[in-house]
Amino acid sequence: MNIVLVGNPNVGKSVIFNALTGSYVMVSNYPGTTVDISKGTGRFANHKFSVIDTPGVNSLVVHSEDEKVTKDVLSRGGINCIIQVADAKNLKRSLLLTLELIELKIPTVLNLNMSDESRERGLSIDVKKLSQRLGIDVVETVAVTGEGIKKLKEAIFRAKVPKSDIILSEIGDVNDDKIILLKKRDRIADSLTKYVSSISRPLQKRVSEVIGRLAIRPLTGIPLLILTLVFMYLFVGKLAAGKGVDFFENIIFGRYVNPALAGIIERYIHIDIVKEILVGDYGIITMAFTYAFAIILPIVTAFFLFFGILEDSGYLPRLTVLSDRVFKTMGLNGRAILPMILGLGCGTMATLTARILDTKKERILVALLLALAVPCSAQLGVVMGMLGSLSVKALLIWLFTILLVMIAVGWGASKIIPGTRSPFIQEIPPIRMPQIKNIAAKTLARLKWYLKEAVPLFVLGTFILFISDKIGILKWTENILDPVVVNLLNLPQKAAESFIIGFLRRDYGAAGLYMLAKAGELNNIQILVSLVVITLFVPCVAQFFVTVKERGVKTACLIAGFVSISAFLVGYILNLALRYLVFNLGIAVI
Amino acid sequence: MDRKQKIEEALSIIWEEREKKSCGREEIKKKIFEKVKEDILEDLIKEGSIIADNDSVKITPEGEVIARDIIRRQRLAERLLTDVLELDRGAMDSSACEFEHILSKEVEESICTLLGHPKECPHGLLIPPGDCCAKAKGLLESIVIPLAKLKPGETARIVYVLTREHPQLHKLMSLGIVPGVLISVHQIFPSFVIQVAETQLALEKDIANEIYVKRGQ
Repeated sequence: MNIVLVGNPNVGKSVIFNALTGSYVMVSNYPGTTVDISKGTGRFANHKFSVIDTPGVNSLVVHSEDEKVTKDVLSRGGINCIIQVADAKNLKRSLLLTLELIELKIPTVLNLNMSDESRERGLSIDVKKLSQRLGIDVVETVAVTGEGIKKLKEAIFRAKVPKSDIILSEIGDVNDDKIILLKKRDRIADSLTKYVSSISRPLQKRVSEVIGRLAIRPLTGIPLLILTLVFMYLFVGKLAAGKGVDFFENIIFGRYVNPALAGIIERYIHIDIVKEILVGDYGIITMAFTYAFAIILPIVTAFFLFFGILEDSGYLPRLTVLSDRVFKTMGLNGRAILPMILGLGCGTMATLTARILDTKKERILVALLLALAVPCSAQLGVVMGMLGSLSVKALLIWLFTILLVMIAVGWGASKIIPGTRSPFIQEIPPIRMPQIKNIAAKTLARLKWYLKEAVPLFVLGTFILFISDKIGILKWTENILDPVVVNLLNLPQKAAESFIIGFLRRDYGAAGLYMLAKAGELNNIQILVSLVVITLFVPCVAQFFVTVKERGVKTACLIAGFVSISAFLVGYILNLALRYLVFNLGIAVI
Repeated sequence: MDRKQKIEEALSIIWEEREKKSCGREEIKKKIFEKVKEDILEDLIKEGSIIADNDSVKITPEGEVIARDIIRRQRLAERLLTDVLELDRGAMDSSACEFEHILSKEVEESICTLLGHPKECPHGLLIPPGDCCAKAKGLLESIVIPLAKLKPGETARIVYVLTREHPQLHKLMSLGIVPGVLISVHQIFPSFVIQVAETQLALEKDIANEIYVKRGQ
């Protein structure tokens, strides 16, 4: 039995998916969390069924790539049951979509989700009347608490093809112009909504609404944004990257894990080369595992926790309102901030999220800016940790440089890349209290993914370094990079290693710089310059491949080439500027 | 159709062809004949409303006055029928066709004012502005205004959405921006934020300028 979940954006399809299948797909409080289909299987009363979760759509007439994904699923056939997940408090908009789904003539169940929120607003829906009128089962749920899920599962087996008389009598000719059809459907949805719903008490302003408003007004919204960033810096940069990493690196690994492993290896392994692979200068344990678990794991955990709370609160889409004008200078609109912020979590996933943008030009621009100027969580954490030990001034210089480069490149690229910008139209979800359960599940899912994706690459990278070191390629490459790294950027030769492994993962490269700085081999200017370069540097391998998949080989290679060159160029200019200020003018900029 | 109506129809056809950048004489002649069932191109030339050579047709300044007037009334009538009476396009064209000829200058101006001096007809073609539009500019606030003119806290009802782009209109409509719907404005800077039923939407100013509303409940 094949079930497809369909619904307007941000109504909780993924929560229903998780509830039906017992698996976990990313759930957040903003439209566009799901940009591709997820498949899972569930079991109920000895029946097995497969479930497909789809990106949210407001209509089957599609405008963006994520919406097309949904349309493709629906037109592929072989669907036994559609569950239309609807926001109970926004019934009319949901019915507008129902009226389009009816025409597919596929058995359907209408699921009114988030019915707690509609109850809270004093809105009640006569489920029986609605069910009779549409000729299908209508089930109310509160998916996050599991309320009504059992009923929904039962309804799946009774799913019926909806009555089409409601359409035939009013719409008549379905070959009309799309806009006229939509007008007609709107009239039906409107009268149907009025027919089944009643408001029992007047709407009142709630605290969440007030917070929601404050977050989008520049006067209060910008201070709130700065406050959020400061909190993130304190939590991720100071607490996790400082105290957390210290604890893991020095106590857990330094005192227990490494000596214990070294002891075991010393006792049981007598082949020098194997020993060196494991615990040498470029050893899998001493380098790859230490970087992955002691430095980066505490940082990404903190970041994912913080980020999850932001996502589920409904705060992020509010930033689109504040940032729309800034993004317009880069040929984008405020919606582009969503993939950009997601990029702070992981550039690879964010490159996929660029699908929510309407035009091809916008998607290319975002892919470019993601590769260039948006550091991923692990990298960001390491950067924050290192800058945290310098000064707030250094952090601001770093931030300013990155933003300046981003806006300048965005502006320039928007003039070169052909195509148009789409107008800014963004739905803003209500502010909600994040649920600890979901934050925990989400953080765990992301950590699992991090370990699965990053650790093997760390091991691979270390191994490549080890081999290159042994056969002398490392020295040779470092010599080749010498003019750039040493002469242009004034960095020690060893910093080249970090840029080399930065090709595999940027956070790995950043971790390398972290170790160099800790060993006292970098002065303040060098730290700042190297961090700007590694932040702007090429995307990691995974992000590169996703860019190839989404935008094509040619675009991806152009992006990677451009990004590498501009990273070093900006580093060079910054290095000159800082040196001039410090040595010639005697200004203590850092 | 009387003589005056026929001339008006013929001139409006030439105007429309000019908008489409096609001024071919034969084609225009054929189209006029289809409409008024008479070949009156020669009459128009004699009257001095148009100049025509072997393959092109041009409107003279005298003809321009008549043509502009009829086009304006025609398109205002279309706007009135779609926006206020909410007739579908099919039904609309034929009735608009008839009553534009009997609109007096006064009625024309009051329709124009009622609609908020619209700039385009429902098909997206320009409506030539009249005296009333020039007067209204900045002076009077008309009944139907773009959403962009509202202040935070105001509520209004959507009258029509005027956009050149079909997908954009569709997108707005599927988000609930439909004629007849009540909206309230939360803020206007840096972007417009409006509430439509339980949906909160952020829009850029250009879009807010394309949504026409009537103040109040």
